[in-house]
Amino acid sequence: MSGADGKKGPSTSVMEWIGTACRFATDRNDFRRNLLVNLGLFAAGVWVARNLSDFDLMSPQPIT
Amino acid sequence: MLLADSFTGCWLISKVCYSLKSMGSVLAASSPSPAPAAAGGSQGVSGLVSVPPGFSMPSVSSVPPTSGSGADADSTLPNPGTYEECHRKCKEVFPLQMDGVRLVVNKGLSNHFQVCHTVTLSTLGESGYRFGSTYVGSKQIGPAESFPVMVGDMDNTGSLNAQIIHQLTSTVRSKIAMQTQQHKFVNWQCDMECRGEDFTSAVTLGNPDVLVGSGILVGHYLQSITPALALGGELVYHNRPGEEGAVTSLLGRYTGDNYVATLTLGGAGAHATYYHKANDQLQIGVEFEASTRMQETSTSLGYQLDVPKANLLFKGTVDSNWMVGATLEKKLLPLPLTLALGALLNHRKNKFQCGFGVTIG
Repeated sequence: MSGADGKKGPSTSVMEWIGTACRFATDRNDFRRNLLVNLGLFAAGVWVARNLSDFDLMSPQPIT
Repeated sequence: MLLADSFTGCWLISKVCYSLKSMGSVLAASSPSPAPAAAGGSQGVSGLVSVPPGFSMPSVSSVPPTSGSGADADSTLPNPGTYEECHRKCKEVFPLQMDGVRLVVNKGLSNHFQVCHTVTLSTLGESGYRFGSTYVGSKQIGPAESFPVMVGDMDNTGSLNAQIIHQLTSTVRSKIAMQTQQHKFVNWQCDMECRGEDFTSAVTLGNPDVLVGSGILVGHYLQSITPALALGGELVYHNRPGEEGAVTSLLGRYTGDNYVATLTLGGAGAHATYYHKANDQLQIGVEFEASTRMQETSTSLGYQLDVPKANLLFKGTVDSNWMVGATLEKKLLPLPLTLALGALLNHRKNKFQCGFGVTIG
């Protein structure tokens, strides 16, 4: 009995932690959550600007 | 944007002044936004007003000029520019919101004087007629800088926006700006800016009222630490009967070969911008804003596509509030016409607005 309770304890806390994390990630009214999401978007935007913008519109078209 | 609501009036003047600076530009004539861009003219921030050829205007550069002999380790540090211009390079990449129909006619009457007629037809905003004029004096400081500069703008209801900029000495520049709503003065402010070799400081006095004992005082300081790094701060103090307070913020700007990263941190929130010039045609801007007062954050991505061979300028933006917008500007050569189309889609609120503008001259 105590062994079963002991096994359920860590898994229950892990499930609770996952549930809390999911609620935090989906709560649009939470300022901290929105702050983290937007910081991530800003970092992604900077990465896109630095790495995916090296194309030249005026380069000649390839001959097919 | 980080200032408290009670400072809105003072900063409205700044935004009005920025919009006055490019009276002749269709994109800039949609007045709510600051940071107007010269319509297909020379690079981003040259000049306060978009002017016809042969018209000299003072130029303001947000990026410190690179010195010709920068190889020495102990070379003098460049002037970092002004505090307000630190975020401007990124802001100019984003399209301005356009609504309704706008017709702008620019006419240069002489090398010193220019007038502008604007007719606006709008469903969301107010429709009307605005008359604007710009005078540039003959005191030439540099190749593209002449003072004094006087800019005025009046609409059909009699509301006036006006500013006077003058270079008092080689390092001190002053500006007086005022705004009226019909016959009543709404905003008036005066500022003095001092540009040293490696620093810029400015003091602005907004809406001073000696009788009531109220006013707003803003101090800026920006110092070049290295040729690429500039640090600065802002102090805003406001006083009126029964209320007194101050807000401070710190700013840091790092300039690379083809990018500028700027961060402003203050008690009211944070503002970060990243500007990247990929090549001669493509510029990208990313902006992050967080307001602890409003408990809101947002991120925006904007890009600008400039194809001079096609006389085309395209700007697009998307942000974290599910808003998508774009403007297209096309010069219809050989006619002195510029056509502008703009649209904004707010997916979250299911709203759409579009605008159309023609600039002549």
